[in-house]
Amino acid sequence: MIELLLTISGVGMLVSILAGMRAPKWWLGSLLIGTLAGVIGAVMALTSGVVWDWRSELIVGGEVVHLRLDAVSALFLALLGLVGGAGAVYSREYWTERAHPRSAHMGRVWWSLMLLCLGLVLVTTNGLHFLIAWELFTLAAYFLVTLDRQRSEVRAAGWLYLAASHVAALCLFAFFTLLAARTGSWELGSMRDRAELAPLFWLALVGFGIKAGLFPLHVWLPSAHANAPSHVSAILSGVTIKMGIYGLVRFSGWLPVPTEAGWVVVVLGVASAVLGVAFALGQHDLKRLLAYHSVENIGIILIGLGFALVAAEHGNAPWGRLALAGGLLHVWNHGLFKSLLFFAAGSVLHATGTREMSRLGGLWRAMPWTASLFALGAVAICGLPPLNGFVSEWLVYLGLFDATMAHGAAAWAAIPSAILLGITGALALACFAKVCGVVFLGTARSQAAAHAHESGPAMRGAMLVLGAACVAIGLAPVVFWPAVVRAVDVWNPIWAGAETPIALGALSLFHVALAVLVLVAAVWFWKRVKRGHLARAVTWDCGYVAPTPRMQYTAGSFASIITEWFAWILRPVRHEHRPMETLPAHASFAEHTPETVLKYAVEPAGGVIMQLSMAARSLQHGRVQAYLFYLLVGLAALAVVVLIGVDK
Amino acid sequence: MNESLNFLIGLAMGLNLLALGSSRLPAVIRAMSLQGMALGLMPLLMEDHFDWRVSLVAVATVAGKGFVIPMLLRRAMRAAQIDREMEPFIGFVPSLLLGAGGTIAAVALARQLPLLPEHAGSLLVPGALASVLTGFVLLIGRAKAISQVCGYLILENGIYLFGLLLIKSTPLLVEAGILLDLTVGVFVIGIIVDRIQRAFDSLDTRKLTTLRE
Repeated sequence: MIELLLTISGVGMLVSILAGMRAPKWWLGSLLIGTLAGVIGAVMALTSGVVWDWRSELIVGGEVVHLRLDAVSALFLALLGLVGGAGAVYSREYWTERAHPRSAHMGRVWWSLMLLCLGLVLVTTNGLHFLIAWELFTLAAYFLVTLDRQRSEVRAAGWLYLAASHVAALCLFAFFTLLAARTGSWELGSMRDRAELAPLFWLALVGFGIKAGLFPLHVWLPSAHANAPSHVSAILSGVTIKMGIYGLVRFSGWLPVPTEAGWVVVVLGVASAVLGVAFALGQHDLKRLLAYHSVENIGIILIGLGFALVAAEHGNAPWGRLALAGGLLHVWNHGLFKSLLFFAAGSVLHATGTREMSRLGGLWRAMPWTASLFALGAVAICGLPPLNGFVSEWLVYLGLFDATMAHGAAAWAAIPSAILLGITGALALACFAKVCGVVFLGTARSQAAAHAHESGPAMRGAMLVLGAACVAIGLAPVVFWPAVVRAVDVWNPIWAGAETPIALGALSLFHVALAVLVLVAAVWFWKRVKRGHLARAVTWDCGYVAPTPRMQYTAGSFASIITEWFAWILRPVRHEHRPMETLPAHASFAEHTPETVLKYAVEPAGGVIMQLSMAARSLQHGRVQAYLFYLLVGLAALAVVVLIGVDK
Repeated sequence: MNESLNFLIGLAMGLNLLALGSSRLPAVIRAMSLQGMALGLMPLLMEDHFDWRVSLVAVATVAGKGFVIPMLLRRAMRAAQIDREMEPFIGFVPSLLLGAGGTIAAVALARQLPLLPEHAGSLLVPGALASVLTGFVLLIGRAKAISQVCGYLILENGIYLFGLLLIKSTPLLVEAGILLDLTVGVFVIGIIVDRIQRAFDSLDTRKLTTLRE
């Protein structure tokens, strides 16, 4: 049955690749059938626990095609299918033939190709095929990011993405070839008993870490996510960066890991979580801000994975299972609510033509659907009950709290991690209070925002599906728990058979009760407003004679206290012209937060390499005499080497 | 036998210095051709009894290096209407000093090398090293294409001297092939020199740097 569904899925994707150029309706139809079949197949694999294993006669690159769908793959495949299908529907309205005649058709083809290759990465069990599919989906994503390549910042972002992706791919090539050289075959699978493979983990960490965007390796992520079309941003943030997580989970499960691996992952996770949200607070660009939240959420997932690794190192302590379950559930959750948020941000961009928060404002009235769904996503991403973000973060917290009961280093690591995770949640809440307040409340700060309009049914429908999934996981985590725990048990079979934490059922009840309460309160409030008991006034009236939209809090001023705390790493650039005289004629203030790691680490390093290369290039100047001199020097050096060798 | 061989090699080493110290192109060509002829005679001296193959190599070498190649070079020189090296990268006195230092170093180095006992007393290896070095100094230090061709030929003479160590095991065809290559190479360079002269109004190879990419 799973085989049939996955075949339908693959065929659907292939048909949609062919149909993308000329027949958009066929493209959408076949793509939806393909993604739906993929999701159903993944759900069946997750519920039944059956591992689908298929070895074909087909040979690609000298290797037999061997596919396998186990719970870990199925977990990511389900997310891929859902976000991929929703994004396709969304793009039919967002990136239309009429608005983008030059790129709409190619956008459809690359979208299908990327989904197909992502699916192949998830199900293949051959290192060579993994690399091929990995490279293909990276290239497809590059072309999707640069769909609007008339704009120079899009090209710059695409170039950075491509460069970073290839550094990652280089590490993965090294990883897979060394693995194949040591095992003698490209076939992948569980080989936990071969301790000599453990050091390869570091290569995987860098390679998959760049793709996942964990903290010091995230340099490509903000600009790529901000400049891509919004449905592409959604799948980049929701699914493709999860491929990095998939790789880490997959290979830390299949291969032995060094003893320090867990600690390093925990430290990187905590750093990503806290600094990701700190950078998000400093942003004024709506999509760039969301991109930094991806870094934060990847950090939360890695905290879960890191503590699972630490637990596995400490005699398979049961708290590791909770932490990993939280991390894996957060993969789903982040994929859902981040895609939802990017869709909503795209809807704002579509309606107003700007991502600058200081040019938006007061959109709630013009775009109630977008605003409500964005708010739903914001509540979820902040980890507030009763939505899904709370469930997964709560599981990670449970794991951390249990770890504090353990003796030794794990307890000492778990306490600060839990505190920093709490700080991350609080900062995320501050950040989304800022976004919702500045973008959707208040009054319009520009003409574009004043003339905003609600998006159409396709975009709203895609957002509604994702929002519904967020609510479903939030209200009924017990339903989703077995699926997640099956993946955890595939990761570490020793944990298999442990039961559901009792508190999860209580959490479900609490969430449902809270949701009902919120709903009742909302209905009551709505009726009160309808009956007209509330007086309406100008927003930000404040007793001024002539209030203007410019008197509102800006995104920068709202977050300035918190960004001040993190100024040591954010390094905001300020241009200020203070009012000096008694009757000042002119004053101005501008602030923006550049990408610190890119500006202070990657760019200087790149500059040094560039200088060295230019210096080396001056060796090639066209004078034959000097070339002969190099030859002589080379010969002399060889002679010296030989003579020294003879002496020994 | 060995004394006369060493005398010829000594002569070749002296000619090296002459080629390094001279600014006049005909003198350099003459030094090069004399060196070629001296080397051409060597195989005859190394053999105890008459061997027609070795004699053939000797005759061909003397004819090629002593007459054909210098003739081609003189013709190229006339076509280009130059007979002096005006602005060398490495001056004549420094070249001479480098050459002299190189010769001494070659003799010293040859002592260190693990040679067969029958070659230990001969000047073959130091002479070969000194000629290779001289060739390199000419190639690196001279700007005019014809001087560089002379440098290349002296370098080749050094390689030929090395080859003499193996004369008994080198087939005749290989020897003949090398000689033919050399002659054709010089012939082609003669044509190229003429073309460079016409295209750039000069034989100064420094002006060719614009062709680097």
